[in-house]
Amino acid sequence: MRSWEDIQAGSFFEANARERAFGIVDKNTFTELLNPRDRQASPHLPVLGEAIGFDDGIVTGVGLIGKRPIFVVSQEGRFIGGAVGEVGGAKMVATLKLALQTYEEVKKQYPDSYQDRLPAVVISFETGGVRLHEANAGLLAHAEVMDLFQDARHKIPVISVIGSKVGAFGGMGFVAGAADVVIMSEQGRMGLTGPEVIEQEVGKDEFDASNKALVYRTTGGKHKYILNDCNFLVKDQVGAFRKQLTEVLEQPFEQIEQYRRIGSMELVQEQIELVDTAAKLEPKDAMDIWKYFGNEEPAKLPELSVEQFLKVAKRRPRKN
Amino acid sequence: MEEMIGRGRDAIEMIVDQNSFQEHTIESYSFDPEFGPGSVVGTATLNGRLVTVIANDAEAFNPRFPVVFAGVIGLEEGYKMATAVYRTIEADRDKELSEKRPIILIVDTPGNGPGKVEEIIGMNKSTGAYQLALAEARKAGHPIVAIVIGRAISGAFLCHGLQADHILSLSKDFGTMIHVMPITSISRITKLDIERLEELAEENPVFAAGVNFFYRLGGVQEIIENLEDMRTVIDKHVSEIYEIKAKGEYEKLGPWGRGLLGAERGGRISRKTVIDKMANEFAAVKSKYLNA
Amino acid sequence: MALRVLEFKYKADNPVTIAKEWSHLGVVGSGDLEVLMESKDLDGWLTVKVVTPVTGFDKVWDLVLGKFANESQLGNVAMEINDNNATPIVVSMRLRQALAEANKLQTEGE
Repeated sequence: MRSWEDIQAGSFFEANARERAFGIVDKNTFTELLNPRDRQASPHLPVLGEAIGFDDGIVTGVGLIGKRPIFVVSQEGRFIGGAVGEVGGAKMVATLKLALQTYEEVKKQYPDSYQDRLPAVVISFETGGVRLHEANAGLLAHAEVMDLFQDARHKIPVISVIGSKVGAFGGMGFVAGAADVVIMSEQGRMGLTGPEVIEQEVGKDEFDASNKALVYRTTGGKHKYILNDCNFLVKDQVGAFRKQLTEVLEQPFEQIEQYRRIGSMELVQEQIELVDTAAKLEPKDAMDIWKYFGNEEPAKLPELSVEQFLKVAKRRPRKN
Repeated sequence: MEEMIGRGRDAIEMIVDQNSFQEHTIESYSFDPEFGPGSVVGTATLNGRLVTVIANDAEAFNPRFPVVFAGVIGLEEGYKMATAVYRTIEADRDKELSEKRPIILIVDTPGNGPGKVEEIIGMNKSTGAYQLALAEARKAGHPIVAIVIGRAISGAFLCHGLQADHILSLSKDFGTMIHVMPITSISRITKLDIERLEELAEENPVFAAGVNFFYRLGGVQEIIENLEDMRTVIDKHVSEIYEIKAKGEYEKLGPWGRGLLGAERGGRISRKTVIDKMANEFAAVKSKYLNA
Repeated sequence: MALRVLEFKYKADNPVTIAKEWSHLGVVGSGDLEVLMESKDLDGWLTVKVVTPVTGFDKVWDLVLGKFANESQLGNVAMEINDNNATPIVVSMRLRQALAEANKLQTEGE
């Protein structure tokens, strides 16, 4: 593997799952749990003639940011599109469970200062959701992950980082959105239904899945930032993601929870207002929404560098 | 056999006490009847006990979001269902555990709203919001029972069903469908012929479509053979769930409980191995992370 | 149709092992593979286990792996490869990279 420094300076988009896991935490603090030597490959793929991977496409482990134990899940899009099966799903579930157990232990061991050592969960998404070759187990695992997300509420922060090729789609799209904080790069995409299926649903005239600019306007980092679905937009660099993550974790947990988009009656009410806006506006393109939120020249936004974009972009106002 | 696909409203009448269902109402809260027509929410009694009911309406069409028909859960529908759950939690906030009203999910949905506007606005949040609400209600003590009467497909089942304490299903004789995708599509993707896949499924329920396979994986608690039994079986599970929650054994319920059940029924073997191994490996390095 | 397991072994004249106890490289993407190497007392042998969906290339595997074994003089190493349709050129490149990774000096804390 490349050195930690090389990974920091390099593209997040190009980094593989193991590099992202290693690079998202402090230097040389990452311990992979269930590493390739454990050979925990999927038991279901061989009979279907599908190639296996020793990590089943998901790298899991623990690192540190300062004094905080950071529980990391990092998905590998190059392995069957990052899709989640029984083993990969269980690895996600186990990681969340360990984070919650560690929270209890830290609290017990440091009753007065546990907030400085509060564990966090960081998930680097690169997946379309359920792996069809072992679909039922993958589906059940998704529900377990959501259940544990709710267990983590008001205890430890859960943070989604999205900037890899496949994005976060299907069932993992709503898992990503259910985190406390979402950090994306412009190249990151978050949604439920992938572009090809939308094209199939509404027709090529309405949505051309091969139109990359359109695809990014619909689910990409800049759009999700304007919508306030993504809290922080960073440039495509592992170090930029890690820096943003570190800054978020330095904030009091109560403040971190304010970044949520869903998870309470009040937040749902806020989202319903957005849906009402969409019903009235009938947007033909995400740019209609950008304009509605005060971006006078929406067509120029995709061209801007992240730095320039962050200076001028107007976002959906939040209630609090 | 009398199929129930597309008959969410009929199912409500068959399950709850006669004429007890009040649509659009949960305690003092009233829903706008125009909002989220693809989902049906309201209050009823089941054997005299107050329950919240959440179902799909396959006959409804949402004129504002035209991808919503045939029971599809769209942007409005997901948030409407989430609101129903939050209003239920709110209504019983100060009540004892044994007084937290059950939530009955009647499941017959082919999918989450797939569309351009849905993606622009963020359909992932709508379905996610509903799941978080259900998980919160479950952990707050409300017994949640889902019953699959028709279609429980992929992400829509995750949204509406898989966060319940217990999941019940009408047997496959009723044409019930539980799957991520039909075996024909899996056959296309894996390039294995259907006969071979069906043969493989007999030994390994992990990819095959259908109620019985989900049962073996722990995804379905109990299969119901007769429509007349729906009421009593749901009520039986509500009582069981109350008892388990009174003992504080929440891990036996919901998605985690289904993990345990899957291992017990021999359907999901690797899950437990993975969880145990990772716990052991973490224990060996834990002090480094706890005492940094 | 099921995945195939191929096993090979090679013996070097003057076997050299790897620096790390074990090492891993690669991602099982389409047209790619991963390599796991473990230092083991194998009486000087290099053993290779290949798991692949591809049929009909057993001889090619033997040639590519044999060439690598000969050039590297690896011994007392157990190697496992998960392959997904990698070409011989990609296989050779990954094997060289995997060996370099296995002989990297350990950095602190890793």
